[in-house]
Amino acid sequence: MSTQSIDLPLGNYQVQQQQADKKQKLAKPATPVSTLLKSASSLLVKHSFLSFAGLIMVFPFVWMLSGSMKSNDEIFSNPLNIFPEQFRWQTFVETFESAPFGLYIMNSFTVAFFTTLIVMINSAMFAYAITQLKFKSRTVLYFIVMACYMLPGAVTYIPSYITLANLGLLDSHTGLIISNAASVFGVFYLRQVFLKVHPSLIEAARIDGAGEVKILWAIVLPQCKAALATLFLITFITNYNSYMWPSLLITSQDLNLIATGIRQFFIAEGNYGLNWSQIMAASTIAVMPLLILFIICQKTILSGIADNGVKE
Amino acid sequence: MAEVILRQVEKVYPNGFKAVHGIDLTIHEGEFMVFVGPSGCAKSTTLRMIAGLEDISDGQIMIGNKCVNNLPPKDRGISMVFQNYALYPHMSVYENMAFGLKQQKINKREIERRISDAAETLEITHLLASKPGEMSGGQRQRVALGRAMVRKPDVFLFDEPLSNLDAKLRVSTRISIAQLHHDLKAEGQNATMIYVTHDQVEAMTLGDRICVLDQGKIMQVDTPMNLYHSPANKFVAGFIGSPAMNLLRATVNQENDATYIQLDNGAKFLLPSEKAEKVTGKIGQQVWFGLRPEHISLVAPSTEAATAQEQNIELTYIKVVESMGNEMYLYCALGQEQIIARCHFDPKINIQHSESHYMHFDMSHCHLFDIDTEMALVN
Ligand SMILES: Nc1ncnc2c1ncn2[C@@H]1O[C@H](COP(=O)(O)OP(=O)(O)OP(=O)(O)O)[C@@H](O)[C@H]1O
Ligand SMILES: [Mg+2]
Repeated sequence: MSTQSIDLPLGNYQVQQQQADKKQKLAKPATPVSTLLKSASSLLVKHSFLSFAGLIMVFPFVWMLSGSMKSNDEIFSNPLNIFPEQFRWQTFVETFESAPFGLYIMNSFTVAFFTTLIVMINSAMFAYAITQLKFKSRTVLYFIVMACYMLPGAVTYIPSYITLANLGLLDSHTGLIISNAASVFGVFYLRQVFLKVHPSLIEAARIDGAGEVKILWAIVLPQCKAALATLFLITFITNYNSYMWPSLLITSQDLNLIATGIRQFFIAEGNYGLNWSQIMAASTIAVMPLLILFIICQKTILSGIADNGVKE
Repeated sequence: MAEVILRQVEKVYPNGFKAVHGIDLTIHEGEFMVFVGPSGCAKSTTLRMIAGLEDISDGQIMIGNKCVNNLPPKDRGISMVFQNYALYPHMSVYENMAFGLKQQKINKREIERRISDAAETLEITHLLASKPGEMSGGQRQRVALGRAMVRKPDVFLFDEPLSNLDAKLRVSTRISIAQLHHDLKAEGQNATMIYVTHDQVEAMTLGDRICVLDQGKIMQVDTPMNLYHSPANKFVAGFIGSPAMNLLRATVNQENDATYIQLDNGAKFLLPSEKAEKVTGKIGQQVWFGLRPEHISLVAPSTEAATAQEQNIELTYIKVVESMGNEMYLYCALGQEQIIARCHFDPKINIQHSESHYMHFDMSHCHLFDIDTEMALVN
């Protein structure tokens, strides 16, 4: 799953822009045939380009799916064959039974869910503070966050490991959750979104007597649903799929997350040899919850919000 | 229910810009006070300091005998209506109006009662379930008004609430606001209203008193009539009234016991004796001479020749004629000076541009201002 391909909705602004664009298009006078042809051909180019890009994106997934239903030999003899000679659905059953998948998925799901929840709460509060509260050091704080953004994650492994060891949280889900509970991206992204919330709405709420937490919860967040869904999805996927850091931290078998679990069972332990069709099936099973989640979130992400209630 | 007092209030923005330079003002209980002035004169800044949305850099603001300098907005007994309505977009009209009341922990029955009362007054009952995005600008502004009303504040604050509406809606909403002020008074809720606008028609029609601001200083505070007829200084004279007052440089001269106002191009106007008395110390000196457009009138063509020699009549060259239907604005040149005259439309007189006509200057209504201090000498 690549995170770059997700279009980040920046609050209401883009939606309005699109609506304005639509209006402009509607307002256009009737166009002569030549321009119609031109626009049709440009549409064709656009669509074929997008379809091509979409195919490239979806190919690894489809290939994984088809691979899981081929036999191990067929994977290597006909690697580009999308449709297997025989749909061997029972691979899934065999794979699922051969490893504690339910447990791993559950582990990944819990860790990702709680991490994401905490990340969303603290990112929202941080972003609210640096966008809507007036205090002297807010720019400094923002720059510190930006500076952290430039730090490669691997650099933090050793200090984080030592800290967690001192806290006695190695080899535990709590340790995993705590060590991922702050997201620079979350702060950065929500800051951009909160900047688009009209300040007069927050002032109106202050006059109405709402405290800052109430304003964040009842006024700001409901207007940023699309952005929140996006952040939720990105953070969740990252944590669900995360491999390197959990594999350093988790040593007990039954605490493994899905990515480490798959590796241990089908690659490292090697009791099945390298059974690629089972590896493919395992990966497919691992990705399924994410797909379901994505389908649920997609509606919110695409819907945006119609109007921001203030007149520009 | 509350008097608002500003004492030597100053505002310095964090970037060092001093927006408000020591404002002293008392707004009486139940009064409708309008802040008016050109863009950037700190009307909004002053209002926002009263609301508690901006810190007060220096001085003191009292609402109902209580210093509110350090009180948050919610504890000041105020409601505010914003230029952009500031309705919560994800809430229905009902929820928008209820939000503030819920924060005050008012019980549900009372909330319902207040909202239905306000909605009835403002004729928005049928909109209670809609979202702000589904309504027109005028409807949104009435909802914003309703949201301010249901809180039953001591002081209503308005920051250019009508400037996003079209001309017709502006008039009807303006009347709603005036009506609201009367109604609240009649109900015994003597709400003070502070209203910011740059539209002088709104200022003149709504205000019990008007506070004219320029560059963060008060120029004059008075009733609309007094502002119009006795401006305290040249700024107010030029700002209040449309078209604006003619303001020309002139010299006070005395000949044969009569006092004249003489323009640089030689045109001379006789000053009535009661006005002349006030400028005896200014003989031979320069002043600003002000005369409103309606006090300059066309001399009927038939009598032109006979009256050309009389006092206070000058030949002007008409450059542009604007017809308003019932009246005309004549943009004329008097020597190198530009003046505006405002005359009743008379079908018998056909005035065209690029013609010269005699005009009568009614000096009994003239204003004179000091050339340096710009304060009124004669009103
Ligand atoms: N946050 C700020 N920081 C610095 N200067 C500001 C700030 N807000 C306003 N100003 C300046 O203060 C002055 C007064 O602004 P204010 O918004 O009160 O004017 P206004 O009278 O309401 O004008 P308008 O009719 O355009 O709304 C302006 O010169 C403006 O540039
Ligand atoms: Mg303003």
